[in-house]
Amino acid sequence: MAIIETQDITKVYQLGEIALNALNHVSLTIEKGEFISIMGPSGSGKSTFMNILGCLDRPTGGRYLLEGVDVAHMSRDELAAIRNKKIGFVFQGFNLLPRTSALENVELPLLYDGLNAKERAERAAAALATVGLAGRENHHPNQLSGGQQQRVAIARALVNDAPLILADEPTGNLDTKTSSEIMELFARLNREADITIIIVTHEKEISEFSRRRICFRDGVVVSDESVVRA
Amino acid sequence: MINIPSTIRISLRALRVNKMRSALTMLGIIIGVGAVIAMLAVGTGAQQRIGDQLASIGSNLIMIVPGATTAGGVRMGAGTQPTLSMGDAEAIQRECPAVLYVAPILSGVAQVVYGNQNWSTGVTGTTINMLFVRDWSLTGGRPFTEEEIRSAAKVCLLGQSVVDNLFGGIDPVGQVIRIKNVPFTVIGVLDVKGQDPRGQDQDDIIYVPVTTAQKRLFGTTFPGMVRLIMVKAKGPDDLPAAERQITELLRQRHRIGQKQDDDFTVRNLTSMMQAAEQSTKVMTLLLGAIASVSLLVGGIGIMNIMLVSVTERTREIGIRMAIGAKTWDIRLQFIIEALILSLIGGVVGLIAGVTASKIVTMLAGWSTVVSPFSILLAFGFSGFVGIFFGFYPAYKASLLDPIEALRYE
Repeated sequence: MAIIETQDITKVYQLGEIALNALNHVSLTIEKGEFISIMGPSGSGKSTFMNILGCLDRPTGGRYLLEGVDVAHMSRDELAAIRNKKIGFVFQGFNLLPRTSALENVELPLLYDGLNAKERAERAAAALATVGLAGRENHHPNQLSGGQQQRVAIARALVNDAPLILADEPTGNLDTKTSSEIMELFARLNREADITIIIVTHEKEISEFSRRRICFRDGVVVSDESVVRA
Repeated sequence: MINIPSTIRISLRALRVNKMRSALTMLGIIIGVGAVIAMLAVGTGAQQRIGDQLASIGSNLIMIVPGATTAGGVRMGAGTQPTLSMGDAEAIQRECPAVLYVAPILSGVAQVVYGNQNWSTGVTGTTINMLFVRDWSLTGGRPFTEEEIRSAAKVCLLGQSVVDNLFGGIDPVGQVIRIKNVPFTVIGVLDVKGQDPRGQDQDDIIYVPVTTAQKRLFGTTFPGMVRLIMVKAKGPDDLPAAERQITELLRQRHRIGQKQDDDFTVRNLTSMMQAAEQSTKVMTLLLGAIASVSLLVGGIGIMNIMLVSVTERTREIGIRMAIGAKTWDIRLQFIIEALILSLIGGVVGLIAGVTASKIVTMLAGWSTVVSPFSILLAFGFSGFVGIFFGFYPAYKASLLDPIEALRYE
């Protein structure tokens, strides 16, 4: 069974008199364990698509099956539960809570899952170790480099054993060297933990790390191809 | 499922991060709760003092005053007509079943001399029953005997203020004082009663047998007449019955016709005092209500800060929503933050209020009483304020769109 299946997804934004079709009948199937990069110019609909995949937004029309379950018309709280258990988010701006230790940042999803303190701390520490930050548990975000902060964010995405990680321009704020380190980390998680990873990026080089590249333009998929490594 | 202990921890952390702001927000509640507690303490203290004074004049009291005389068209005021007699007092004692004790009073002001000291005070001629009517005991000596009353003996009981002014350190019992130049032997000293509800010193008094007062001190042209009669009813419920019985009896004894007005007035002292107590209660409520306004203002302060906090932490709310916080997770986080602010403010305010009332007692000498009720009230109210004023900001936070919130700079 495909982990993600979208059927004729549309998203219409009503801006006064004008209806803007951000997504126009997008149908895609993504299998478990794929590593996908989504590209496209701004306004192409890729962010809207990611928001829908991430259950942060609901499509205007069409069906979105996540692990076979139609989530397109779930309530706010049902979607929150899905995000908590099935999806890990990594953002361009890291989006860690300031003045909060790395460990507590990583614990956050577990907190909303109702785990007890001991189990939370253990799993968060393990996730931090996976991303190579063992020993930095008590550092606050402002004591960490950009790359390290993004690793904390990835650990947070991993901690609930979500089968899917969505990363929105995860290397947008990082230098080239750190960017490839982060992408290596994604590739390793995809390879070793069999986590399905979808990243949005502007950069061709970044998309090279993935195995399938999907390009959006004007709300439709214009290309969908396997990545041939140079 | 919502994890309350974790939510409390999240809230505490958020408050710790903004220490100064949290402290200032709390200050509003501290002042509010402190004011409520201090005001109620002052009010309750006053109420209790009036209650004590009420008890000191004696319970279930009825006073009978003669009617007004008219001299050439000029009405002289209550008590000027000598219509009450010793016989009336005895009849009331005998014939009114709702009455426990009756004490006739024939009083005046007289100069009192002991050795080289002298003092002007109220001298009251009465019977043994006076001590029962007023619930008054002796600290030394003995009360009058029936024989002394009958024989108009020159004996007296002194109030503590008289003792202080005439005797200094000497034990007055057995000494002879001169009242209006008549020598009286002191046979007893009355217990201290303090001020009555009108602020008069109840201890500045001398009791002599009523017969002696009539013959030696305040003899009038109407022998056997008394100034007033004090009556103690059997219980608080018997007061109206006692009043009715006394009125009927006296009308009969004074031969007052159906259409004529009474030539005496029956006053229920207890109900007058209870009215005074009631008015202090109202004052307490008023003080409390005014103080509550400051608590309300403190609550608005909390709401203000929470609204700022929600706006400032929009991004944080977005992050929390993205990783799975549900509507009530977000709401509870902010409500609990407000609640913690108001409850900690409540505890500190409680301490401040108790301290303030202690200071008032020390500086102004007012008695203050911090009742458990006022503590409960202030505490419950501050908790309510926290939830009430925390809810709107929390509600606003929970309605944020996660995508918008994440994009917020």
